[in-house]
Formats: sequence, C-alpha cells, structure tokens
Amino acid sequence: MNIKENFRILVIVAVVTLVGNLAGFKINPIEALPGMLILLGIVMLGLLLSKIIPSKLPSIVYISLIGIVLTVPGFPGSAWFTEQAGKVQFLALCTPILAYAGIASGKDLDDFKKLGWRIMVVSLFTFVGTFIGSAIIAQIVLKLTGQI
Amino acid sequence: MKKTSEWKIHGLVLVLVVISELIGAKSIKIGPGTAVLLPMLYALVIGLSLGPKGFKIVNKEEMKLASPLIGVSALLLIAKYGTTIGPAVPLLIKAGPALLAQELGNLGTVLIAFPIAMMLGFGREAIGAVHSIAREPNIAIISDMYGLDTPEGRGVMGVYICGTLFGAILFGLMAGFFASLNIFHPYALAMACGVGSASMMAASSGALTATVPHMAQEIQAFASASNLLTAADGVYASVFLAIPLTEWLYRKFHKQESVQAVSAAPQEEEE
Repeated sequence: MNIKENFRILVIVAVVTLVGNLAGFKINPIEALPGMLILLGIVMLGLLLSKIIPSKLPSIVYISLIGIVLTVPGFPGSAWFTEQAGKVQFLALCTPILAYAGIASGKDLDDFKKLGWRIMVVSLFTFVGTFIGSAIIAQIVLKLTGQI
Repeated sequence: MKKTSEWKIHGLVLVLVVISELIGAKSIKIGPGTAVLLPMLYALVIGLSLGPKGFKIVNKEEMKLASPLIGVSALLLIAKYGTTIGPAVPLLIKAGPALLAQELGNLGTVLIAFPIAMMLGFGREAIGAVHSIAREPNIAIISDMYGLDTPEGRGVMGVYICGTLFGAILFGLMAGFFASLNIFHPYALAMACGVGSASMMAASSGALTATVPHMAQEIQAFASASNLLTAADGVYASVFLAIPLTEWLYRKFHKQESVQAVSAAPQEEEE
C-alpha cells in the first residue's frame, strides 16, 4: 500500500474515530480535531521516514518515537501537544480497529472450527500464563526498586 | 467495483463504532472480582457476526479487503501510544528495570501452559502453542525455525487464531478481574496488559483504567511502553529463552521415546 492510499484510509479512520469520540466520550469533534490532526501528522511523518531511511525498522518504530519526542517534557510545545492529543480518547481509537478486525476475522471462524477444543484450552492457559507471569515479575521488581 | 465494497466496510465500521460507543462500558461481577466489557469488544463481536456464517452482510471478498485496514487504522493508535508515553518518560525511566524484566513473563506461559498441553496429549504442537502468546512476530519465528507446515507451526497458528478471535475479550476480562482482586499493584498489571497484541493491550488497559480511574494516565503509559517493548525485545526472549526452555521441557517429558528428535524432525503425531 503506498503512502497516498494509506493517507486516504487514515483520513476515513480519523473521521470515524472522531464520531466515536463524540458518541462515547461526548467530546466535540471540532474540539478534538487539532489532536487528531497531530496524530495523523505523526503517522504520515513516520511512514515517510520509514520510506526514506534505508533501514529495516518497521514504520511503527518511527511513528511511536515521533509521538514520544513531541510530548516528552522539555520539548518545545510538548504540553500543548499532550493536551491536544489527550482529547482523542485512547479507547475511541481502539473501537474502529476492532470493528475492522471483527469484519476481517469472520473468515478465521472456519479455521477456528477445525482447531478443536484442546487448542482452545491450551490458548487460554497461554494467555493467562503470560499475563500473570508478567504481572508477578513486574510486581516483584517494582517492589525491589522501591517504586510501589 | 473494488472501491464501492471498501466504502461499504468503512460504513459498517462507522455504524459498529456508534452503536458500541452508545452502549458504553459495562461492569459485570464474576465471583470475587469485576470484569469490564468495553465498546471495542462489542464492535469486535458484532463485526464477527456479519460474515457469511452469520448475518451474511459481508462476503469473503469484503472480509479480505478489511484485513489490511486493521493495520492502517492501528497506526493512529501507535501515534497515540507515543503521545501517552512521552509525558511519562521520567516515570518510565524510574520503572525501567521492572518494565524490562516483565518481558520474561513469557516464561510464565511456558511453565503454566506446557503441563496442560501435555495433559491434553499434544505432541510437538505444544512447542509452537505454549512458547509465547503467539502474535505476528512469534509466527515469524516459528515459521523460520520449524516452518508453518509442521506440528510446531500448527501449534502457533492455533493459538494465534484463538488470540485474534478471543484475545481482546479475555484480556479485558482478566485485567478488570485482577485489578478488583487487589493482589497486584495497578502499575504491575498495566505492564502485564502490554504483553500481547495492540488490541489485547487496548482492551486490558481500558478495563484496568475503568477499575482504577485515578491512575488512568500512568496505566496507559506503562501499558503502551510495555507493548512497544514486547514488539522490540519479545523476539529475543522467544528465540533465546522461551523456545529453548520449551524444547528442554519437551525432551524431559518424552525422554524415553525421542532423545534424538531434538530440533528438526517433525513427528507423526496427529490430533
């Protein structure tokens, strides 16, 4: 997918997200527009950088780094960037992604039926195991380093 | 022709988003804890039901067309991750050791899920299935080391498909539930929220935030940072620790039968 095509889809997703931001969090789309334009700009800049810079790093590395740099305390205007981006709710950004995922994953239901119940049980323990494993280690290290 | 059906998908997504957001987050009591259902989960479930097996609103072609749109729409969320992490950089540096160490939580997966896989009679599928949480990078690793047309490959794909379909739901329920139990500090749980895919992280950190609203900012920052780290160093944890550990456990378990079947040779065990 080229950058122009990405941009077209991102604008559509941005509009859908602003509507969801209004429906779920009562945030006026005009109020949230600067924040959404900032996010859109970060994504486009990140995509551009990953095209120009000859390395194998995926574009999400650039996108997240630009987002961090713009809002890290001390960067010129970081407080403003943070405030504006904050008006686009995290959860409002997630709902469209999972809506696309739901529509696309309908085709996985067939594969899923062939899997059988045993792999479902193992999956369940895999997910719970990773979550608890990570929480236990984080808890211990946070305690040891005196952060909690 | 192609364009019109893509617009249909965007239109459906808009409808799903509005319906889901209007329903809003709901808490349900499960035993001693509370689980949180978020709008994104309604969107996922309704979306799943639209296919040929459900309400027949979208066909196979349109489903295929929707697949790349997931990745593109997730880019905005990644940018949001960045703007969430930025302001919390000083806090994240203080919590750095914990953030790095919790990546090893993957090994918890092996220890908990491996015995279950053996009890259920799995063969080498278990190595693919329990070595990690089976997101895209893990598929790439298993594909590289064993091939996807092997028992190991079937194992990792099985967990991957389950995760795609139910991961976000399960993670949302788990995070809310553990938060209400008060065993772990919300920071520790926030880091655990980041171990899987972006949607798992979104569902679980959203549920965690709903349970501990006064720590919302820190929770989102820790979860986002953990999720990005997973993408960065999760590969190494899998290749150098989790897969060797799973192989070792497998050899211990099958000592009498297959001492030589160390790495490559796929066995003929079928389901």
